[in-house]
Order: sequence, then structure tokens, then C-alpha cells
Amino acid sequence: MEPRIPSHRSSYGLESFLERGLLLLVMLIFLEGTVLTLGAASSPDISAQDNTGGGDDQRGIEGRHGHANYTKKAFPVLSLDYRHIHVPFEISLWVLLASLMKLGFHLIPRLSSIVPESCLLIVVGLLVGGLIKLAGEEVPPVLDSNLFFLCLLPPIILDAGYFLPIRPFMENIGTILMFAVVGTLWNAFFVGGLLYAVCQIEGTYLSQVELLPCLLFGSIISAVDPVAVLAVFEEIHINELLHILVFGESLLNDAVTVVLYHLFEEYSDAGEVTPMDVVLGVICFLIVSLGGIAVGTIYGILAAFTSRFTSHTRVIEPLFVFVYSYMAYLSAEMFHLSGIMALIACGAVMRPYVEANISHKSHTTVKYFLKMWSSVSETLIFIFLGVATVAGPHAWNWTFVSVTVILCLVSRVIGVVGLTFIINKFRIVKLTTKDQFIVAYGGLRGAIAFSLGYLLDKDLFPMRTMFLTAIITEIFFTVFVQGMTIKPLVDLLAVKKKQEAKRSINEEIHTQFLDHLLTGIEDICGHYGHHHWKDKLNRFNKKYIKKCLIAGERYKEPQLIAFYHKMEFKQAIELVESGGGVKLPSAMPSQVSMQNIQPKKLPPAVAERALPQFTKGREEEIRKILRSNLQKTRQRLRSYNRHTLVADPFEDGWNDFILKKQRMIELEKKVRLMSNYLTVPAAPPDSPTMCRARLASDPNAFYNIKASSDGVPTIQVDLASPQSPDSVNMLNEFSKRGATDQGLGQREGADRDEDQGLMMKPSSNPGLMRCLSDPGPSNEDEEDEPFLP
Amino acid sequence: MGSTNSTLSKIPNVEELVQETGFTPAHIVRLYDRFEALDKEKTGHLRPQDFGAINRLAINPIGDRIIGAFFSPGQETVDFHSFVRILAHFRPADKKRPKDPSMPEPVNSRTSKLKFAFQLYDQDKDGKISRAELLQVLRSMLEMQVTEEQLESIADRTIQEADLDTDDAISFEEFRKSLEKVNIDHKMSIRFLR
Repeated sequence: MEPRIPSHRSSYGLESFLERGLLLLVMLIFLEGTVLTLGAASSPDISAQDNTGGGDDQRGIEGRHGHANYTKKAFPVLSLDYRHIHVPFEISLWVLLASLMKLGFHLIPRLSSIVPESCLLIVVGLLVGGLIKLAGEEVPPVLDSNLFFLCLLPPIILDAGYFLPIRPFMENIGTILMFAVVGTLWNAFFVGGLLYAVCQIEGTYLSQVELLPCLLFGSIISAVDPVAVLAVFEEIHINELLHILVFGESLLNDAVTVVLYHLFEEYSDAGEVTPMDVVLGVICFLIVSLGGIAVGTIYGILAAFTSRFTSHTRVIEPLFVFVYSYMAYLSAEMFHLSGIMALIACGAVMRPYVEANISHKSHTTVKYFLKMWSSVSETLIFIFLGVATVAGPHAWNWTFVSVTVILCLVSRVIGVVGLTFIINKFRIVKLTTKDQFIVAYGGLRGAIAFSLGYLLDKDLFPMRTMFLTAIITEIFFTVFVQGMTIKPLVDLLAVKKKQEAKRSINEEIHTQFLDHLLTGIEDICGHYGHHHWKDKLNRFNKKYIKKCLIAGERYKEPQLIAFYHKMEFKQAIELVESGGGVKLPSAMPSQVSMQNIQPKKLPPAVAERALPQFTKGREEEIRKILRSNLQKTRQRLRSYNRHTLVADPFEDGWNDFILKKQRMIELEKKVRLMSNYLTVPAAPPDSPTMCRARLASDPNAFYNIKASSDGVPTIQVDLASPQSPDSVNMLNEFSKRGATDQGLGQREGADRDEDQGLMMKPSSNPGLMRCLSDPGPSNEDEEDEPFLP
Repeated sequence: MGSTNSTLSKIPNVEELVQETGFTPAHIVRLYDRFEALDKEKTGHLRPQDFGAINRLAINPIGDRIIGAFFSPGQETVDFHSFVRILAHFRPADKKRPKDPSMPEPVNSRTSKLKFAFQLYDQDKDGKISRAELLQVLRSMLEMQVTEEQLESIADRTIQEADLDTDDAISFEEFRKSLEKVNIDHKMSIRFLR
């Protein structure tokens, strides 16, 4: 009896949770649908006074203003004026819907592992669109091309470009370009041409479709869509090479698509394309792509240069990143250049320099905002796709649509296989059949195709609705069928997945060593290869560019040191989080080092700590020395002022303090090892790596601790560098004594005392840890990406 | 083709070279041209000074180690055969090679490449990278930009991470293990040497 009840209860709980989740979803959809209906109904040309809508009651809005009689009316205590705010209100509602949907999907545990998010979102869009239609209102034209291209697409592309892993991208740039340019051209002409041929067949009622519109359609539908690829590939964690190939292709084919689209659109009126136009088209392509990249680079350099001077106004640093990038996009679009390439170039160019200049908090802000905006944008795009499907006028033609779907698949497969055959002759690491399959299967179409189709002029292209229907069907097919099945296929084919572990210092050192080696060998062979140019670029960068664009003395810092500091800090923070002890790597060969442990997880066997035994006297000494070196803190400002939100010197001071503490702890560990080496010498306080690796991101937590300790006098700021005579002597002293200091023993009690000693207050340990833990997203390996490869 | 054939005839033991290193005759000809270009005094051998004349090699942090790798211990000159043999390490690995345990390990396999790199670290050829050797490499790579203490910390950290048998040095096996995630075939191959 007993065992059954708990299990019954738990399953009951689960069911109800599931039910609750589903119920919540349905309710939300219904709610949003009705309110949106309300919104749609109260557009300016409909009287705002005459609303019918159940939504009102649900929202509990009271005091409907009755029809006025104009002679004398009572003073309106409460009134409803939806029209006044309806545009921002609707926008906010859509964004809210998108975010709630995202939340909802993750509450239902198994759903998100079977069905990719993009599919679910399209379904939600369909539902909302259906609700609106049911209510009898007209569905708003949500996937309006302006809205899409100017507001929804840029955040996603900027996010992709800013965090683009440059090294794999550049190593495979040849392959990516081949796929993007040649592949897209092949797709466009194959699909367009064959469609035209099919249309000419008797009996399909399509004979009025001409060649050029077909080619235009082919060019719209052949482009792989970055949004869809990102959405699906992010969930399958495929290995880096394949990811960058498909993703890079989807980004770079924008130029081709733009040129083809404009070319065919311009000339479909004339009805023919002369060879001259083709030549012009090629020139246009070069201008579009190179021009886009140039525009992006210029804005990127401007942003980097601006960030050099922001050390006094840290608060608006992230804004520069966003605004410059957006302006790059808009400027490129102004000249009909490739906005996507401009955005990618801008983000990729500015990133190393901006990151060296901005504060750690700004860095986090930029990262979070980019992720947030791109996430919301992506969600909205898929929902709108669903709504637009319900909304749009459709002209279904079995032949056209089915032939489109089949042809797209076929042309993609042929294209990938053919191109890989050629490309493999030039690659060192060849693409296997499995890779080719994934690349071909991962060619998803998305909202860009739909928007481009939507842009078509109704008069010039009478079969526009048919095109739109075919595009939507193709998008649905790729996203649903290919998107859902790619994950099981990846598992089935045992495609290599992404490596999760971070780079170790060994890898970093040896990789650099090998780079130098290969450069040397290339020079001996007299061969100007890959390494030669990379080395040249690095030297040029170090010599000239970094000096201009990076503030202060930071540009001198070599990449290896930056990497090393980052690692040391991560380990030190882990030490603190685990309560002051450390698992000594030499004691357990199977757990080699802290590197292989994710920063959030505690090191295993935390309970077992072998630490030296300090005598009471020495403990007192330690505490005294440390206390005398601690910083003065500012009294908490009750009403903080935006301009003094974070002052950098204070930030540095706090982290020096943490650094000293870490070093103390590390020192104990080394004392136990009986070796004589010094602990991590700190870089100069304003070094970016010190700033970067800092995890003390929440000044409020610190303030809370301070506020609770009113009776304690403020502590002294020690403006001496971390290598002050005091600390160095202390370290030396311990190294000397280390030789005589044997003995294991539990030191946890003393350790905790020491922690408290540092903080000068009880119950500070959890506070300290809270203060230090950075609630960052997991699996961020961009942090460890070298600035410049 | 005519000039290739005439050059080929100038090189002694071409077939042996082709067999041993896996280069095609066309490659060997190209390398021979390069060899002759470096050998300014036409002695048929290369001396360290000839390598030193390559400007870009002089600014390479580990340039002198690379040059040293060409010369077998005790020898002062490099003939063409040795030159090609060393460069054969950097040929991209042949994927389709049948695994024949009786044949010696081909010179451009992953293990051989790693061994070559290992030997560049291990200057005293004792089979291990000691802490001092590692420090030397770090010092040359990081040049003047860091303090001695930082170098020592990095060296300690590196050894600590890789050293599994706690002998305070990195053996070849440990070296190989620490690089198991890196695609050595890709990193240590030069494209034109196919």
C-alpha cells in the first residue's frame, strides 16, 4: 500500500503539471487571440467606442464610457481610449505572446525534445491567426516586408555575426563561398528552369507563367534561410564544421539572392535578359557583396574607435555596439547592398577591439541583449509565418506546389553532391558522405523567402498568390518535415557532435606552437599559404590596428596570457564557490584538471579536502595581514544615480580583493604540494582579462552584505598593486614554511573562519558566493575564443 | 614536362624518395627547385646560414628550432634527401591507406607529425618535455611581453594539467593525449604538398 501511494501521487502531480501546462498554453492563445481581435477591430477607421469583445470582461476593465450627450456630461472619472495606444499595445502583445509561448514550451518537458521550437511556434501562429479569422476580423498583415527586414531580421543576424566563430569560418571560407554562391545559383536556375518547363506542359493551366517570373521564383525559393537554420541547428548540437558550413552558407547567399531578385524583377517587365544584363548582374553581385562588407567594416571600425573613449561613461557602451551595427545594416540597405553581409562584417570586425575596451558588465549586457532580441525576433518570425499563412490569399495549384517541393529537394541534393566533389579536391579534411547528407538536408527555407515573395508587385506578377502559396508550402515542408527528422537522423547516422569541453592550456599553447611551426615550414618551402597570410595579418593587426583601436596599454597583452588568466580566474572562482578547498589534481589522475569541469558544476569530492594545518598563531597572522590590505568601500547610496552606477576604480578594487583571497586559497593548496612556486601574478589592474574573468557582477549583493554590517568600520582602500611588498612577503613566507608544514587534517573550520575573517561578518559565505556567481548562460564557449585566431 | 624530366634526372634516387615520402615526382621537382634556390653557393647542401637567409624565418619565434630540426645531430649540412624527408611530415595524411601493421608508420601519419612536433620541444632528446624546456618555448613565443613569474605559472599549470604520471615532465604519450581533440591532420598539413 505504502509504496503505491507516493508513486501515484507523483504521477498525479506530473499529469496535473502537464495538464496545467497545456491548459495554460491554450488559455494564453485564446486570450491573446481575443485581445488581438479587439485590437484589430479598433483600428483607426472603426469607432473606438463601439467595441464588442469578450476580452474586456476578462481583463476587468471597468467604467465603459457611455455614449455622451453633449449638453452636459458628468466628469469622466474613468474612460477607455484604446485607439490612443493601440499600436504599441498590439506590438507589446505580440512580443508578450511570443515570450510566453517560449516559456510554455519549456515547461512541457518532452515536447521540446521531439518537436523543434520553430514548428511549435508556427502552429501557435496558425492558431492565433485562426482565432482572429474566426472572430471575423481581418488578420493584420504582420509579415509586412518593412517590418520584417527592418525590425525582425537585424537582431538575429547581428547576434549571429557578433558571435561568429571566426577561426572555423575563415578556415572553411572557400567551401562556404562555393556553396553560397555557386550552390544558390545552381538551385535558382535549376528550379526556375524546370518549373518553367513543367508549366509549359499542356493540361496544367499554367501556361501563362513566363520564364522570367519562374526564374524569379526560383531565386526566391532557393536561398537557405539563416533564421530557420539557426533555429533548428541550435537544438541538434552538431559538430562545428557542419554547423559553420550550413550556417555560413545561409548568411553569405544573401548577396546572390539580392542580385538575382533585383535582376529578374527589373527585367520581367521587359521580358528578356540580354547577355549585357548578365554581365551587369555579375558586376552587381561583386559590388553588392564587397560593398556590403566594406560598409560593415567601416562601421565596425568606427564602433571600435568609439569604444576606446568610453571609459568614463560605461553605461552607454552597449548602445554603441547596437546602434553602429544597425546603422551599418540600414546604410547597406539604402544602397541596395547586402545588409546581412554588412551586419556580419560589422559585428565580426568590431568584436575583438570592443571587447578589449568595454567593461565586463557592458560585455555581459551586450551579450544578453543580443541573445534576448534575437530570441524574441526569431519567435515572432515563426509566429507571424503561421498567422500569415492563415491570412494570405491563397491560390493552390497542385502541380506547381508539388513540383516546387520536389525540385527544391532534388536540386539541393544534386547541388551539394556535385559541389562537394569539386571542393574535396581542394580540401585537406574532406567532406564525407554523411557530412554531405547533413549539409543537403539542413538547407531549410524560411521567412526571408516569404517576405521576398510578399514584396512582389501584384500588377507585374499576377501569379503572386500562387507563388506565395508555393513558398509557404515549401517553408512548411522544410521546417516541419526536415526540421523534425534531422535530429533523429543525426543520431541514427552517428554524426559527430559538438565537443563540449573547453580548451585546455595545453591545447592553446601547442596550437600556437604549431601555428608558428607551420608558418616557418611554409616559409622554407617558399609557399605563401594559409598560415603565411594569417601570420601577416596578425602582425599587422598587432602593430598598427590594435594601437589605434584599443585604449590604454591593453593592446600589448598577448593572447596566451589573456587565455591563461581567464582560466586561472575561473578556477579560483570555483574554489570559492566550493567553499575554500580544492581537489588536488595530482592526487587523482583520472580527474585531470579543473578545465574539464564545467564552471558551474562543483568539483567532485568536495568533501575530501586535504589542507595543511595552520597553527593558531599563523592564522591570526594571515587574518591580520589580509585585513590590513582590504579595500575601503563606499557607503551604500540609498538613491542611486544613473551616472554613478558603476565607477570603474571601485570595480577594480573589489576584484583585487577577490584576487587576493583566491591567491590565499591557492597558496594553501600549493603549500601542501610542497613546491616553491609563486601563485598567479596578477596582471595590471586595468587589464581586460582581469576585468573579463571577474565574476563579481552584482554590486547590489555586495551592498546587501555591507548594509547588514553597520557596526563595522569601513575598510581601508589599498591602492598598492597586488604585488605589494606585504603580499609578496607573505607568499614567500609561506613557501618557506611550506617545506616544514606537513600534515593533513581537516581545516574546514579554520577555513570558514578565514572566510568570515575576510568578510568581517557572519553569514557572509553564501553572500560572497552569491556575489561571485555570474548567472550566465551555460555552454558559452565564445568566452574562451581567442580574440584573434 | 621536358624540364621536369631533366630535373628529375638530376636528383639521385628519386624512386626511393617517392616511395619513402609519398610525394609525387612533380612535388619533388618543385622542392628541388626550392632547394636550389636556397642553396646559393650551389654546394648541393644546405647550411644553417642558408636557412637563416629566409627573412620571415628570422622573425618566427621558433625559427631556430625549426632550422635545427632539419639537421640531424652532429651534422652540419642538409642534403636534398633529408630536406624532403623532413618536409614529408607535413603532407596531408592519406585517408584511404590500409592499416598494415607490418609496414612502418608512414612519415605523414598523425603519430609521426606529433612526434616531429614533440622533438621540437624536446631539445635534449630525452623523450620528455621538462619544465625548463617548456619555459624556453614559452619564453620564445611570448617574447618580451610577460614577466618571468607569469611564464613560470603558465609552465607549471601546463605540466600539472598534462602530466599524468607525476614526473613533472610531459612524455610523448601525455603530449599526444593532451592534443587528442585537436585535428592534427588539419593543423599540421600544408595544402600544396599533396
